Amino acid sequence: MKTFWEQAVLGPLRELGQQAVASLSSLMGIMILILLGLILGWLAKEITYRLLRALRFDRLCDRTGVGLVVERSGLARSSSYLAGQIVQGVIIFTALLAGLNALGTPLTRNLVERFFLYFPHLLAAFLVLVVGALISRFLGRSVLIAAVNANLPSARWLAGLTRFFVMVLTAVAALDELGISRTTIIVTFAILFGGVVAAAAIAVGLGTRELVREFLESQLRPKARPEVEDPMRHL
Amino acid sequence: MAEEILTDRVKEDLSALGEIEIVVGIPSYNDARTIGQVMQAAHAGLLKYFANRKAVIVNSDGGSKDGTVEAAKQTNLDNRSILFVDHPLYPVHHLTMPYHGLPGRGNAYRMFFRIAEEAKASALAVVDADLRTITPQWLDLLLRPVLDKGYDYVAPYYKRHKLDGAITSSIVYPLLRVLYGRRVRQPIGGEFGISNRLASRFRTRDVWGTDVAQYAIDIWMTTTAIAENYKVCQSYLGEKTHDTKDSGSDLGSMLAQVVGSVFSLMEAYDAVWRNVLGSLPAPLLGSPFEMGVEPVPINLERMLASYRQGVRDLQPVYQSIIATPQLKGLEAVAALPDGAFALSDDLWVAVIYDFALGYHRRVLDREHLMRVLTPLYWGWVASFTRQAQDQSAAQVEGRIEKLCLVFEQLKPYLINQWPLRGGKEESKP
Repeated sequence: MKTFWEQAVLGPLRELGQQAVASLSSLMGIMILILLGLILGWLAKEITYRLLRALRFDRLCDRTGVGLVVERSGLARSSSYLAGQIVQGVIIFTALLAGLNALGTPLTRNLVERFFLYFPHLLAAFLVLVVGALISRFLGRSVLIAAVNANLPSARWLAGLTRFFVMVLTAVAALDELGISRTTIIVTFAILFGGVVAAAAIAVGLGTRELVREFLESQLRPKARPEVEDPMRHL
Repeated sequence: MAEEILTDRVKEDLSALGEIEIVVGIPSYNDARTIGQVMQAAHAGLLKYFANRKAVIVNSDGGSKDGTVEAAKQTNLDNRSILFVDHPLYPVHHLTMPYHGLPGRGNAYRMFFRIAEEAKASALAVVDADLRTITPQWLDLLLRPVLDKGYDYVAPYYKRHKLDGAITSSIVYPLLRVLYGRRVRQPIGGEFGISNRLASRFRTRDVWGTDVAQYAIDIWMTTTAIAENYKVCQSYLGEKTHDTKDSGSDLGSMLAQVVGSVFSLMEAYDAVWRNVLGSLPAPLLGSPFEMGVEPVPINLERMLASYRQGVRDLQPVYQSIIATPQLKGLEAVAALPDGAFALSDDLWVAVIYDFALGYHRRVLDREHLMRVLTPLYWGWVASFTRQAQDQSAAQVEGRIEKLCLVFEQLKPYLINQWPLRGGKEESKP
């Protein structure tokens, strides 16, 4: 009877207790790792923020246009603060992954492994987005200034279109890097891009028939003296 | 050690000429139509005014394709005192044409300075090869102050239409005057006279590979001469007209090259101009006389449209350059009807100072920054033209003097906002 009691009730209960203690220690380990991550993350954020401020990182971001994007998006009060927050997030996320890995189950291990394999792609996609945003801003501004100086009434529209296309290209490149529905994205982009170019070509063709005719005429039958657009002497 | 740019042949030619007192430099590029007349005027000027001084005329060509060199060689002159050289022209010089339409002008000037130094000449005069109105007297006016009066730099003073040269009269002249304290009315001329010591100083400066040398050598020379306290004067040359060539340089490029160079030199000489208060006139030699000048075509409607579009469409860009009170002022001016359109001197000067500060702080790509000045410049020209249209030339000159005084009054704003060297910064406007 005693053996039966030991085998049927106390044994499983003891095993359950041992498993609970083991799980509890794992959970404690996770909690400690996360807590450490939170503390380290906060410290790293503060250090990064202060260091970047001292190095005038915000001014650099303002010059390149990143500052304005940060300001307008409401993500953070400044670019250096956002950089601090990113560092903090990375540290907390790493602590979380370490905690999951410490659980030692095949599922969590597989999850962590897959994340680390995917991480370089995430980083590359992020960089593509940042560089693309900067290029789109620069080119958009170049088009805007050139169009305004040429007195084109649709200057802002042209600049917006330039920014939009560069950002679409950037998004396609970033998504391609992440491997998300690669074929679908490329086909969609090709259709969209081709459609817009065709529409623009038709619009330009219809709207500027006279202009093109005059241009060709002026080229084939040159005038004795070309018209001077700006006859003033400024210097 | 400075790079040697004279070939052995040129050195031999110079040595064969013996002691030389005067060098006259004529830079050319596709000037076949005018170079003969310019060389003849230079030659006649040397014979008439400096007959007892040994002189050499140097034509430096930048690879003309219209037979300029042949035209110059065919000029019926005493070839013993004429040197033909060429200055290097790299593909980059063709990519962005300078405002004066003479690619490689900096290289040509460098060649003249080196020749003057090698020949130990006392004075050097430079005149453009595309001039139509040059007279032999110009040589006397450019060289005499150096040879007989001890001046180091003789800037040209041309008779111009009252509304001509708005970049010069409303930005470059007032800025150079307020910054360095000397009033050189036309600091961007293709003609000048300089002493041997200043030519040597110019030649040894480390600017020859830079944009300043290629696009704004005249401003650089005038600024350097004034900022470094060389003896500067102006010579009245009368009217200047030159052969019309399409320089391919639009107003935006012109502003970027000319005003950008003034801003760039402000950085080099900030220790000098911070301590300058007020200004003194540079002596004007020669006799100004009344004469008719070519009228200036004005299209006020187009100027106003450009200004209004700029203020509307470029507002986000202006926000990073121009201080808020000035920006609001510009917007208020844009809203005025055509008949009441007026941009005040105070507002214009503060805007120019904001652009100088923005250029220095690199708040934006510098090319972009300079190009967005274009619509505002049109606004200023429109406003100025409206006021000056019915005024006499003397009244307009008085109006420019008033503007310069505002530049001087507001200089403390520029000094206070200009970041100090060593990283300590003042508050942002």
